[in-house]
Amino acid sequence: MADPFKICSEVGLVVHTNYKAESLKSFLNGLKKVSGSSIFYHVHHALLRRHFATSDHMNDFARWVLEALGQSILSERLASVDPMGTRSVREARNQLVSFVSEYVGGGELFFRVAEGKEFHFLELHSLIVPLKTVEPDLESFYHALKKATLGTFFFHMIEAPIRLAKHSNDFSEWLITDLGEDELAAEIAHLNPYMYNLWELKAKVLQCVRKRLKEDWQQ
Amino acid sequence: MKDLDRYVTIIGKPEIDEIKSLGKYLKGRRVHHINSTKSGGGVAEILQRLVPLMESLGIKATWDAIEGNAEFFDVTKMIHNAMHGQEVDFSPEQMEILEQTNRQNEKLLDEPADITIIHDPQPLPLVTFRREKKRPIWLWRCHIDLSEADYRVWGALRHYVEQFDGSLFHLPEYSKGLGIPQYILPPAIDPLSEKNMELTLEEVQTTVDNFGIDPEKPYIIQVSRFDRLKDPVGVIEAFRMVQEWHDVQLVLAGGSASDDPEGVKVLQEVREAADNDPDIHILDLPPTSHIEINALQRGARIIIQKSLREGFGLVVTEAMWKGKPVIGGAVGGIKTQVIHNVTGFLASTIEGTAYRIRQLLANPGLSDRLGHAAKEYIRSNFLLPSYLKNWLLLLLQQEHMGERITFLD
Repeated sequence: MADPFKICSEVGLVVHTNYKAESLKSFLNGLKKVSGSSIFYHVHHALLRRHFATSDHMNDFARWVLEALGQSILSERLASVDPMGTRSVREARNQLVSFVSEYVGGGELFFRVAEGKEFHFLELHSLIVPLKTVEPDLESFYHALKKATLGTFFFHMIEAPIRLAKHSNDFSEWLITDLGEDELAAEIAHLNPYMYNLWELKAKVLQCVRKRLKEDWQQ
Repeated sequence: MKDLDRYVTIIGKPEIDEIKSLGKYLKGRRVHHINSTKSGGGVAEILQRLVPLMESLGIKATWDAIEGNAEFFDVTKMIHNAMHGQEVDFSPEQMEILEQTNRQNEKLLDEPADITIIHDPQPLPLVTFRREKKRPIWLWRCHIDLSEADYRVWGALRHYVEQFDGSLFHLPEYSKGLGIPQYILPPAIDPLSEKNMELTLEEVQTTVDNFGIDPEKPYIIQVSRFDRLKDPVGVIEAFRMVQEWHDVQLVLAGGSASDDPEGVKVLQEVREAADNDPDIHILDLPPTSHIEINALQRGARIIIQKSLREGFGLVVTEAMWKGKPVIGGAVGGIKTQVIHNVTGFLASTIEGTAYRIRQLLANPGLSDRLGHAAKEYIRSNFLLPSYLKNWLLLLLQQEHMGERITFLD
């Protein structure tokens, strides 16, 4: 028997790690040492905080390297770390560390910032709030998603697969397991949140489900 | 729920429902806020709004202010200045006045509370009663920028802070490397307050006319105290550069400077720099001019905040909420709010500010893009319901310490 879908939302509390970087050297140390929750906050959660800026999905690290250190080449590489292209926070961290290590090389170019421009490593304490239980049918799912917050889309499509080490996003997993909607699930799984803002992502998911519903109605 | 429902049209029902869902987990919790005054100042202003919203969710939220004599408030003013980086002569006798007044206010803690929230340094020593009063969770909300705090005064207060279960700062830059959790909780504006509520075009035009601003010519505005750290003279210099290219007006709207000798001096300098230019309007407004400021911001083409030093900069939040392109100094909380070329422009020099003004005046499409993104950024992050949500999270987090991801049932 099919299980209902539990719609949740992510709400995050930001905590200072007590670690800050004033040069590329201490930045590199920070990237290696801070918690995965800190990497998640600065790389992935930035998508939620700045979701409206479609073309400017720069993570916090890339932004600081550009704005405080003026290192555009390194910034560009750090910005290329696609939160959805890395399967785990650890993988994202490894990519970031390797980019900064290569850039710093064996040299002494540590690019120190002026006082007050340091990078503050923060971390995220997430609370996942259950909001609604949706009957296991596509129409109910569609109407529930229509009313869902962006925090819901962030949790089910970004946080759950990355932080809870799932194979796919929650929507696609449920669509396969409980509704047998493999094609629709694949279509949604194919959407990369890094390429859109969260409004657009929501609209695209809804569009996919609506299209599938229309097929049913036409039959 | 009536209070919270007033924000449905602003942030949407799903967001409000999410906050209500969070609130259910805190129903019946006794949350006691304590600060140093019930009226006047930003802290009282935010508590006047936050406490009823918490109550509307079923939280037993209460708010008290400590009482003290003139001597006590002299000491707390000195502490306040020291926290902002001023060098002060803080003596053990003054510390004793602070501690003694707090002891006299101990009765405020007689009623039981699950979470006690102390705002700013004045009531800090109350934390020494935490065992005696059997109050389990204590949080310290610091509304002040501590990054430049006088190390002697901060040193004297720090041992109180470290007796709390957690501390809250507006910005990461304000944190102090404490041994207790330091939460980052930015402040917020109330979109329904006089400062921010929607106004009709007619109301805006009437205000603009009343201040003698030419309605046929665009104007740029900076709203700030007449204070050198807000660089009003620098704004005039930037405006002069713009005037060579555009027929435009400048409005400098500031709070009353009558009780501040330094402010009077700066206002004089500003008037001299303006040199009776009919296109420069210097408005010395009383502190109650909320609707007037609101209207002036809404009527402006561009809003500037060319601060050389700034706290969080709620005046920028207010400007961005009105969907205006903002040019801000790259300092303090302005950097958090203005994402360069996305939600506004950051500028550090007079020349840079002039260039960005010209760019925005010449390019209405760019202005619209930045103004729209600015408004949405504020809607998502810095409005009162988001602030309430962050508080609810923080209160809930106290029951799930040590967890980085908590699944609520």
